[in-house]
Amino acid sequence: MDDWHYEPTPDFDKTPIERLKDFPRHPHLVLYTARLIANVFVRAILHVWHRIEIVGREHLPHDESFVLVANHSSHLDAPALLASLPLKQIHRAFPAAAADYFFTNLPTLAFSTIVVNAMPFDRKENPKHSIDVCRQLLETPRHVLILFPEGTRTADGAIGPFKPGIGFLIAGTPIPIVPCHIHGAFKAWPKGKWIPRPRKLTITIGEPLRFAEARPAKEDALAIADALRNAVVNLITR
Amino acid sequence: MTSDAFQSPVFRGYLFVLAGLLAVAGALILLLRYVLRKNVDHAWKAYRGWLIMIPLVFLALYFGRVTTIVFFTLVSIGAFTEFARATGLYRDWGMTIVVLLGIIAVGIVSIVPDPETKVHGWYGLLMALPVYAVAAIMMIPIIRDRAKGQLQLIALAVVGFLYIGWMFGHLAYLANASNAYGYLLYLLFAVPLNDVCAFTFGRIFGKRKFRPNISPNKTWAGAIGAFAVSMVFPWLVRFSFPEFGTPELILAGLIVGIGGQLGDLTISIIKRDIGIKDMGAVIEGHGGVLDRVDSLIYVAPLFFHMARYFHGL
Repeated sequence: MDDWHYEPTPDFDKTPIERLKDFPRHPHLVLYTARLIANVFVRAILHVWHRIEIVGREHLPHDESFVLVANHSSHLDAPALLASLPLKQIHRAFPAAAADYFFTNLPTLAFSTIVVNAMPFDRKENPKHSIDVCRQLLETPRHVLILFPEGTRTADGAIGPFKPGIGFLIAGTPIPIVPCHIHGAFKAWPKGKWIPRPRKLTITIGEPLRFAEARPAKEDALAIADALRNAVVNLITR
Repeated sequence: MTSDAFQSPVFRGYLFVLAGLLAVAGALILLLRYVLRKNVDHAWKAYRGWLIMIPLVFLALYFGRVTTIVFFTLVSIGAFTEFARATGLYRDWGMTIVVLLGIIAVGIVSIVPDPETKVHGWYGLLMALPVYAVAAIMMIPIIRDRAKGQLQLIALAVVGFLYIGWMFGHLAYLANASNAYGYLLYLLFAVPLNDVCAFTFGRIFGKRKFRPNISPNKTWAGAIGAFAVSMVFPWLVRFSFPEFGTPELILAGLIVGIGGQLGDLTISIIKRDIGIKDMGAVIEGHGGVLDRVDSLIYVAPLFFHMARYFHGL
């Protein structure tokens, strides 16, 4: 008789906190259940408190991995973008979040991993490595990477310049980039405020862009970042 | 269980003894560390684990029957999850969910009253639950119309439910006994004591290996020493079960003294077969939940049926 084939979960010998900090995180039944419940709750809040409106859902690709890029003005941005995806996709959607901000203390770590399913992005010491992790994420079919190329929340409500990292990530690949504009989040919950105010949120999703012909070089990366910023700015309707 | 746990002399007795033991052990570690300058990292980590676990258990018992059952059901869920993650059963969410539902059912059946007698805890259904759980587990491959590799999944799920869910579930059900504090606190004290004695006697006198292919650190000296302590222990804590006569006390000692080590070795077999050291890392200094409760799983149902046979619950 053959031996049985045991295959322990790769992170089985880690503590729960180490498992949350780990990336990619391995599927966990309790975590997925908690995330599902939390997201239903977050969506309810976004609808009731912020009367969220999502325009252009039909532009979201169905059968392939894609990157969602948006302007960043508030902690509401990532939950609002997640809310514009189908609920069954929340375990495969990864908002990139600053590792130095969201992964340092337990309450924010728990929120960003359990609820938002954030990917720790090292924007200070080793952003190249984080971009590699993003690339691996996108190699798996039907993954969604959510990026805020400004790299931080805006302080005054204006959309800042996009950092070229996104260009290096997708230049020369067939991966579609979906530009999104989030309107109202700055008024609802700007940097430095403790509690969100009941302001209306509008998410406008644009048509996907592709940069298959671009080269992963500095000039092209900068051009892609500019093109994406323009695409986001062009979605501003009022 | 009474509405105020402090009115129970048994609860007060164990609380007093354990608080004392924790204080003495803490002082001893401090003495070793700062006066004798010994390296006590390992002992300190294990001690910190106890410092969290012991108050947790007392809190659960203090709040009454339902909290106690919920607490042990959660422990059981944690232990099974570790088992599933270590063996790879966890990749099959269907099987995992069915077993988890079975474990939750064990908890619910322990809480609800028997529809006929109106006594807390539906004993008949608890004894019948393995039938339904195994039947549900067998159904999954059939629903999926899949055969390859399914026997392993079925076997792992059945062991997971029967051993970690149902047998361990007997411990939670003891909260319904008229002498709940006595039985629960005796088991929760005597079984870890048996483990600690096996470790200590093994360290001091151990030469000949006990079961080298299963657990290389266990020795005959440890096993015999722990057995001796466990045989005497029921007499030392006789206030826990005034209704017990000599035969019951001897049986209680035998069940803990032999069953405790068998339970420990049972989980060691699983770990050794898979090729891992600990079942998890939830409790620092102790490993996983399953590493902590391994002996209890084996002992609890044996003690349960012994006590029930002689005195009813």
